[in-house]
Parts: sequence; structure tokens; C-alpha cells
Amino acid sequence: MKRGSVHAIVGENGAGKSTLMKILYGMYRPDSGEIFIDGEPITLSSPAVAIELGIGMVHQHFQLADNFTVLENVVLGSEPTKGGRLDFALARQRIGDLGRQYGLEVDPDALVEDLGVGDRQRVEILKVLYRGATTIILDEPTAVLVPQEVDELFGALLELKQQGLSIIFISHKLDEVRRVADDITVIRRGTTVATVKPADVNSRQLAELMVGSELPTPETRESTVTDVDVLVVKGLTLHDSVGRDLLTDISLAVHSGEVVGIAGVEGNGQAELVEAIMGMRTPTAGEIHLGSDDITTWSTRQRREAGVAYIPEDRTRHGLLQDSPLWENRMLGHQTQPPNARGILLDRKGAKADTQRIVDEFDVRTPSIDVLASALSGGNQQKLIVGREMSGDPRLLIASHPTRGVDVGAQSDIWDHLRAARAAGLAVLLISADLDELIGLSDAIVVMLRGELVATADPATVTPEQLGSAMTGAGGAGA
Amino acid sequence: MKIATMLAAGALALAACSSSTSGTTTTSPAPAGSASAKSDVKVGLAYDIGGRGDQSFNDAAARGLDQAKTELGVEVKELEATAGETDAQKEERLTTLAEAGYSPIIAVGFAYATSLGAVAPKFPKTTFAIVDDASLSEKNPNVTSLVFAENQGSYLVGAIAAQASKTGNIGFIGGVNVPLIQKFQAGFEAGAKSVNPNIKIQAKYLTEPPDFSGFGDPQKGQVAADGMYQAGADVVYHAAGGSGGGVFKAAVAANKLAIGVDSDQYLTAPADQKPVILTSMLKRVDVAVYDMVKSSVDKAPLTGVQTFDLAKDGVGFSTSNDAVTPYTAKADELKAQIISGAITVPDKM
Amino acid sequence: MIGRFSIRGVALSVAAPLLAIVFALTVTSLVLLATGNAPLGAFSTMLAQLEKPRIQVNILNSATTYYLSAIAVAIGFRMKLFNIGVDGQYRLAAMLAAAVGGAIALPPVFHVATIILVAMFVGALWAGIAAVLKVTRGISEVISTIMLNFIATGIVAYLLAPGRLAVEITGSNNIGTKVIPESGRVPGLPIIPGTPNLVFGMIIMAIIVGVGYWFVINRTRFGFDLRATGASETAAVASGVNVKKMIIVTMLLSGAVAGLVGMPQLLGDSYTYGLDFPTGLGFTGIAIALLGRNNPIGIAFGALLWSFLDNTSNSLEFDNVPKQTVLIMQGVIVLSVVIAYELVRRYRIRMVASDVGRQLDAELVTTAAQGGSA
Repeated sequence: MKRGSVHAIVGENGAGKSTLMKILYGMYRPDSGEIFIDGEPITLSSPAVAIELGIGMVHQHFQLADNFTVLENVVLGSEPTKGGRLDFALARQRIGDLGRQYGLEVDPDALVEDLGVGDRQRVEILKVLYRGATTIILDEPTAVLVPQEVDELFGALLELKQQGLSIIFISHKLDEVRRVADDITVIRRGTTVATVKPADVNSRQLAELMVGSELPTPETRESTVTDVDVLVVKGLTLHDSVGRDLLTDISLAVHSGEVVGIAGVEGNGQAELVEAIMGMRTPTAGEIHLGSDDITTWSTRQRREAGVAYIPEDRTRHGLLQDSPLWENRMLGHQTQPPNARGILLDRKGAKADTQRIVDEFDVRTPSIDVLASALSGGNQQKLIVGREMSGDPRLLIASHPTRGVDVGAQSDIWDHLRAARAAGLAVLLISADLDELIGLSDAIVVMLRGELVATADPATVTPEQLGSAMTGAGGAGA
Repeated sequence: MKIATMLAAGALALAACSSSTSGTTTTSPAPAGSASAKSDVKVGLAYDIGGRGDQSFNDAAARGLDQAKTELGVEVKELEATAGETDAQKEERLTTLAEAGYSPIIAVGFAYATSLGAVAPKFPKTTFAIVDDASLSEKNPNVTSLVFAENQGSYLVGAIAAQASKTGNIGFIGGVNVPLIQKFQAGFEAGAKSVNPNIKIQAKYLTEPPDFSGFGDPQKGQVAADGMYQAGADVVYHAAGGSGGGVFKAAVAANKLAIGVDSDQYLTAPADQKPVILTSMLKRVDVAVYDMVKSSVDKAPLTGVQTFDLAKDGVGFSTSNDAVTPYTAKADELKAQIISGAITVPDKM
Repeated sequence: MIGRFSIRGVALSVAAPLLAIVFALTVTSLVLLATGNAPLGAFSTMLAQLEKPRIQVNILNSATTYYLSAIAVAIGFRMKLFNIGVDGQYRLAAMLAAAVGGAIALPPVFHVATIILVAMFVGALWAGIAAVLKVTRGISEVISTIMLNFIATGIVAYLLAPGRLAVEITGSNNIGTKVIPESGRVPGLPIIPGTPNLVFGMIIMAIIVGVGYWFVINRTRFGFDLRATGASETAAVASGVNVKKMIIVTMLLSGAVAGLVGMPQLLGDSYTYGLDFPTGLGFTGIAIALLGRNNPIGIAFGALLWSFLDNTSNSLEFDNVPKQTVLIMQGVIVLSVVIAYELVRRYRIRMVASDVGRQLDAELVTTAAQGGSA
């Protein structure tokens, strides 16, 4: 790739993007092949070497210390010292300079925990610039941003590019890739399939290059919404430990055969709402009904046994046991129900057989159901979770970002599974940061801001931009 | 001349204390000067936890053994207990010694009582002895009990403490709260009250069983003694083994007096502590061990319960610090009365 | 494929302990050399002890106790719950059970059962305090169990006095609870020929506890919840596990097994809880649980190894090798096992990950060759 350009790398999950980046950042050693910088072959034996060579990485999941200030986070690991003491004055000045130079201004004394997602990302980029990076790797930088923030990010990238920095940009979102990249490399199953110019392809062609086959067409479907209440939330209010409102007076209903989407910038109470519905948090006020039962005081296990399925937002933290084999992960969340258990005993045979079924039906790519979950790529992990949660005929599915970090092929598979289940009468509460997904799948959309439901939108008419405005509180979305 | 001898003795004792804790089988070197018969008696010594170098009664036993080695030319083998071991492991230790032909085999400490009770009947031809336990010799003719009248010795140092105290306030620090150490306390308090019926006596135990660290934790000793001195005591008697060093430190800091235990601690203490160590209650484990070995060498081993009391000079008090001189007359008088039976010293609190 | 996986799996699982033992032997040899002793001589002295039937009995007997202690610790470890208080739990339990056992008269089997149940109950109760503190007040069980060890020491010291639960033994400086009569004792097993010494009958109890541990952890819903909580508390919560309840139940179980730790010694040898009752077994259990990787079979080997080292250390001292060598050896073994397993674990994860990749490639080629019929 050339100096002063944005080079995008796209590919399905498990195609090898992350592995490639980890090699570039010195976290893995290649088995064969060579890497050149300015014509020189180099050996990247560790991240430290990579940093020295001017390669910096912005991870998909921010690696910031929440209770440190921006300044402290930026210098963390390369602290400026003067006579053995920290020299913050110098660092403050450099951060200010960098911010002005690249349009990445952030208050250096703000606590990171008080920052929004966009600002945090700027801090991450500042961090690598501070270390003198000339090549910056961005791993799925837009996954957590609303459209407006994406625009700001792209502005900054343009600035960086014009200053002569090289940017490697990894993403699933093909429209964005085409907007920002100068060159696009498509990789599939660990090899380069094509390198194209954005002007030469449309998103659909790009997607087909990634998947290696023609894409199924999304959208166009009939409403399957019934008037049977499955989930009814009334006046749900939740306080945090010091009594501040996390959720205020939330009321909503999801009917059998209906997908209700919740739009909102992350951190506006969606996670808390989901956890309250799942019984992982005890609401301060309000009621939750499942069908004819008041489940407000039920335990998570009771709710799960009553037919509530749950695709958690953070699969590594809430969805999987990384160091356990796949078939044990199939039991997780359903360990009290057939085919995983008989009485108080586990039914290992039943669980294994059913895991094999999920692996086959949901196209989980794995050599065996005995491998540890951590050995699978993110997309395959997600397919396993979706397969698991769709098993056992659930009545209600709480799906938090069901296709986050999942490649296009798997994404459309998951969508198909959701639609099929919806047609069979499943009620779905869908939380997603992917507004296209939200609009495409939902029968109704509500917008959440600061713990309140502030607007509703009709997915048939609303545009992602309108939704984005409503999410940031800038304006209504046709409420 | 006297001082020179004392220093030499102190140096020797120090050397003994700092010697390594590893077992030693060195067949005794030809003792310098004194004529000694080479004996074919093999002595086995099984220490309690801490072993040689604990600056307490294991060391006292070691001294007796060393003396026997030099003077009698016996071969010795020393084995040591591990913290937290079971009776089975103690049995194994005693059995190993017995099978290897050692006799007498001396077990140091009452913790060996159960295991020795199991081993002794299996080796009827071997002579065993146990320090601080009197429960075995009745049933086992080959077990000799070596016990001490610690209460009598403590009675005398109690009397000395009461005389030396200007505040009428003295202290007792026990290492671990077990009946054996309560015996020290009982004698000490009775002795002190015989001199001054109104004396105030502070008493404290450093640890509770099964935590036996109170016998080897100078830090704890120092804290406890500090407290007593601050509360008005001006003489503190410790029966706390290795923790005693801390008691002496506290005494130096407070410029008050302390009384040592087991051996004459005046002789082994650093120069700055010597002045504060008024006297020591002597519990002559070394004498007991030596006598036991000697009797075996003489082919007439001691049997039954051997109580080392004042009459036998098995307990007593030291006079190496001249500061104690004003109080010894009274102590000697009491000693005579105890030996004659005119005074019976209590052995329980 | 599966075959290759498992052969390598076996090789890998043997590699870690082997690596650890080789490393530990090397370090110990260096220590021995540095102190002027011949390593080979010392090791062969210890091994030679194995031939003695008496030593064999002692090894089995100590291992029985160690095994129970390690299982008690492992129950908590599987849930990332660090029960450092096994030591206090077993001492308090053994003392009270001994007192009860000495005070009552029951037919043989019932007498033993009563003593054991009392011990398990007391152990569970003592561990339960830490669990309740953790669940209601968020106090780390590490801290509370350590503190409870001290409190247990205090209680035992208070109760173990003449006039309370202890009786004096005439002529001895030891004191203990009233001796448990014949009906409350567990007879030894004459399974080692050549010695009158008997193996603790409680070894059977230890085996039952080991099998029960394996079964509950691996085959029951409860065991799954427990392991899931240990593997990822957040995922366990999301899966419907009531973590607070799990903490309570697991600590109670751990404490109940801890209560058994003193039983082999009490019912098979001492018959009384005295000042000379073995202490510190709870900490030995922690080391052995680490050594055995919380696996019931691994712990059995760990307990036997530990017991072998303990029971042959006398012979070292007899040969003038400091017996503290054994302590060094034990410490080094635990450290090397922890390190070796971590190394092998990382290696294994890398291997599996690259296997998954290679497998997918191979599959792809096959699929392509077969014209896409998967």
C-alpha cells in the first residue's frame, strides 16, 4: 500500500482479517512470507517492534482505562519522564498539537468514562499518533458509531491521509469502505481474492467477492404481526446504586410474530433494559409480563425456562465460556432443559447431538464440537449462539446486536433464521447499532435516549439519517 | 577472671545457638584436655518443632547432648519434627532410630507422648526417654519420663521479681497457653505473692494452641512486654522460648527488668541486654539429657518418672548478673523451705 | 482427525506434569549441590524408603488426609472461590466432632456416622459464614476465611481446656478431648502386608468423596452451573445461574468436605483432639489442589506425591541431608506445575486455533472437489 492512502481490507468473519492485522502488529508470527516497509523486509516480533516501526493499532474494543484522564490514557505505556518523574506538561502540549494538526481535539483532562464513543475512538487514535505511528490500523472502527460520528471519523481519516499517514481500515460495512478507501483488498479464507478501486465496484459486487457467491436479497416481506401480547413492559424504572435513573418509565409491548427494534446510541439504557427483562437486574418500579404471567420477580433461570431466549450484546462476556468445548457452550443458558439435562443430571449425549445439529443447520465452521469456543472466529461463535437461542422453540427472543462482528454471509443467514422464527410466531426485541438491520428487520422501532423511550418510527418510511438524528436527540423521527 | 570465663561461656553458647539446624552425626571429636572414655552407646535425639537452634528447650537438650558427646564419647543422631506432622510421622522417626540400634532414644517434648507410647512396646530392649511427659513410664518399663518442677523454679524467680519491683507491679508472658506454661505462671505468681501479697501481676500468653508460634516470635514478645511496662510493670518474667528476645528488647527500651527462662539467658544475650536480665529460671533440660545418657553409659539407665526439681537442681535461678544479689538470700531461704516440704508450690492456675 | 487430536491431547496432558517434575528435580538438585549434598544419593535414599511397608502405610494414610483437604479446596477453586479457610474449618470440625464422639455412646456404625456428620456440619457452618459475608456484604472470601482461621484457632484454644471440652491426661502436658470409645472408631485396613500398621479405613471415604466430586462437577446441572460460574461469572449470570446461591452452596459443600479432613486421623489413630493434632493441613490442600489441577485423579497423584515427600524426609535427615530440602522440593513442584500447565495451555490453544484454520482450509478443498456437496 502507498504512503498517504487509505487501504481497506474486507472479508468474511474468519477470513483472516484479524489474523493479518495481528501479524502486522507483531502479535503473531507468520509461518511464511515477508513484510516490507519502504522496500525493506522487516521482522515484526512483538507489538513493541511494530510501534517502533511506526505501526499503530486501534482495536475494535477500546483499550482505555476508564478512570484515567485522556492525557493519562494517551501517555500510558510511553510516559514522558524528566529525571525519573512524569512530565505531563510536555505530553499535554504534544497532545494539543496532534489534536489541532489532525482535527482530533479532545479535552486532555476529561475522564475517559465521561466520554462518548466517538471521543473515545479519537483518544485511541491520538494514542497511536502520540507513539509516532505513520501507519494506523483501524479494526472495525465504525461498528460502534452512529452515522454522524462516522462522518466525523472519516473527516479525521482524510486529514491524516493528507498529512502523509497510511491507514489500514478493516470493516464489514461495504458502503463505508467504498466511501473512505483508496484501495480495497478482499480476502477470503486466508487468501487475497482481489484488490479493487472503490470506483470500480458497487457494494453488492464487493459483498459477492467476499462471500464468493451471489447474495440473497434482503427485505420485502409480509407482516406476521399478531395481536397476542408476548412481552409487555409497563412503567419500568431502574435506578443505579446511587439512585440515578438508568431507565425511566419504559413501556412497550412485543406481540407474537413481531420484531420490535430499539434504536439508540450505545449507553443510553438499552443494555440495562435488556438485563432487566432477562432478570439480571431488579427494576426499581414497573412490571414485566410474559404472556399471561407477571415475571417481574422471576429469576433469570425461570424466565429462560419459560421460553425467553437471549442473544447477548457481548458474546465473549455474556454468551460463551471461552475455555469450554462447543457442546458445553450449547448447554449454557439451557442447562436445565432437554436435550441438555434429564432431571438433575446433564444429558451429555443429547447436548452433543444437538450441538452437531446446530453446527450443521447454522453453518458453524468448526472441525469438531469438542474444540474450545475460543478457537472459533467471532462470526462462528455468534452463529453458535444464535443457533442455541433459537433451539427449543422460544416464545420471546431478546436479540442484542445479533449480527455484530458477523460477516455478510452469516448475517443474512441469521436474518433468515430470525424471519423464519418470526413467521412461526416468535416475538423479538431487537437492539442493534446497525440501522439498516434495524430498519430491515423490525415491524416497529422505538428510539431510546438517556434511559427513556423518546420516539417511535415506522421502519417502512424512516431513513437511517432520520433515525440517527432522533438517537442523538437532534430531532424527531416521525413520531 | 570470672568475667573472662563468662564471656567464653557466652560465646560458646552463642555458637551452639547459631549452629545449623541440619542433623549431625559427627562422631565426637577427641575432647581437648579432659580424658574421656570412648563409649559404644548410640544416642538418638528426636527434637520437637524448631529443633536445634530454637534458642529454647530444644537447644537446652542439644547442649546436654553435646556435653555427653564430648565427655562420654557417645555417638549421636539428631532428628527434627516438621510443623503440622502427624503422630504417625513421629512414630516413624522414633522407629527409624530404634531400628538403627540407637539407645537411649530421647524424645524432646510432650508432643511425642502418643507416638512414643505406640513405639516403645515394639522395642522392649531399647531405652526411651521423653522430656516433659510423665504419662508413659508407668505402662512402659523402657520409657523414662524426664519432667521438671518448673513451678518451683518459677516460684523463686517470682519471689525475686517481687523484691526487685519498686512499683509493686510485675508481669508474666507465656509463649503458648498450654498447661505446661500455666505451670510456670502458677509458680511465679505464688512466689511473688509470698513476698508481697498485694502485688499486681499482669499475665499474657502470646498465642493459643494449636498456634505454637508464641514460642518463636520475638516481635510478639516485644509488643506484649512493651504493653506491660507501659502499664506499670517493672519486672517481666517470660516463659516464651524464642520470643523472649523481644521481651529483653522491650526491657532495654523501657529501662526496666526482665527475667529469662530455661537457660541462663544473661550469658547468651547481647551486651546491651545483659543489664536488664535480672535472672533466669533455669530448667535444666541439658542436665536431664546428660544424666539420661550418662546413666545409659554406666549401664544403669534411669527409669520411671525422673522429676528434676529444686532438690535435684533440675530447676533453679541464675545468679550471673550481680544485680540479683540483694534478692538471693530470700530466694535461697524459700528454696530450702520448698525442698524441706514446708512450702508446697501450686502447679496449676 | 479425531485420532490425531486425542493422541496429541494425551501427549500434551502428560507433557505438563513431566515438564514440572523435571524442572523441580533440577532445581532441587541444584539446591542440594549448593548445600554440599549429592542429589542422586538423596533421591535414591527417598525412593528406597518406598520399599518399607511401614512407609507405604504412612504414605497412604497421609495422602488420605491430604486428598480430602485438596478436594475441599478444589470445590471452591472450580468456581474461582478461594476457600483459604479449610484449615480452620477442619480443625474446628475435628475438635467438636471429637468432643461429641467422646461424649456419646451409640452402636458402632451410628457412632461413627454421628461423628462424621457433626464434623461435616461444623465445617460447612464455618465456611458458610464466609459465604454469607460475601453474598450479603461483598467481602472477599479470601480475607474472611483467613480471618475465620484465626477465630477458629481462638475457639479451639478456648474450648480445649480442662473443664470445658478437654480432659487432662494424667502425667502429660498434653490435653485433649475425651477419648472416643471403640464404637466410634473406624478400623484400619490390613492391605499392606509386612507390617502390623493399618491403612486408615477412611481411605474409602476419601475415594467416595473423590468419585462424588467428579460426578457432581461433571455430570450434574449443579456442577455445570458451578463450572460455568468459575469460567465466566458474567456468562453464568446471563445463562440463569443464581451466583449468590451458588456461592453459598459451594462454600457449604467445600466446608463440609473440609470437615472430613481431620476424620482419618481422629477416627483411625488419635481418637482424641489434643494439642498434638496435626495442623496446617488446609494449606497443604491448597498446594495439592493446584498440583492436581482440581482434577480428582490429578489430586490423588498430587496427594500421594506430597505424602511420599513428607514421609521420606526423615530418611534424608538420617543421611544428614537437611530435611528442609523436601519443603523446597514441594514448593518448587507446585510452582513448576502451575507454570508448566500455563505454558502447555497456551501452546494447546495456539495449536487448536491453527488446527481449526487448517481443518477449514482442508474442508474447503474437499468441498470444492466434491462439487459443493457438504
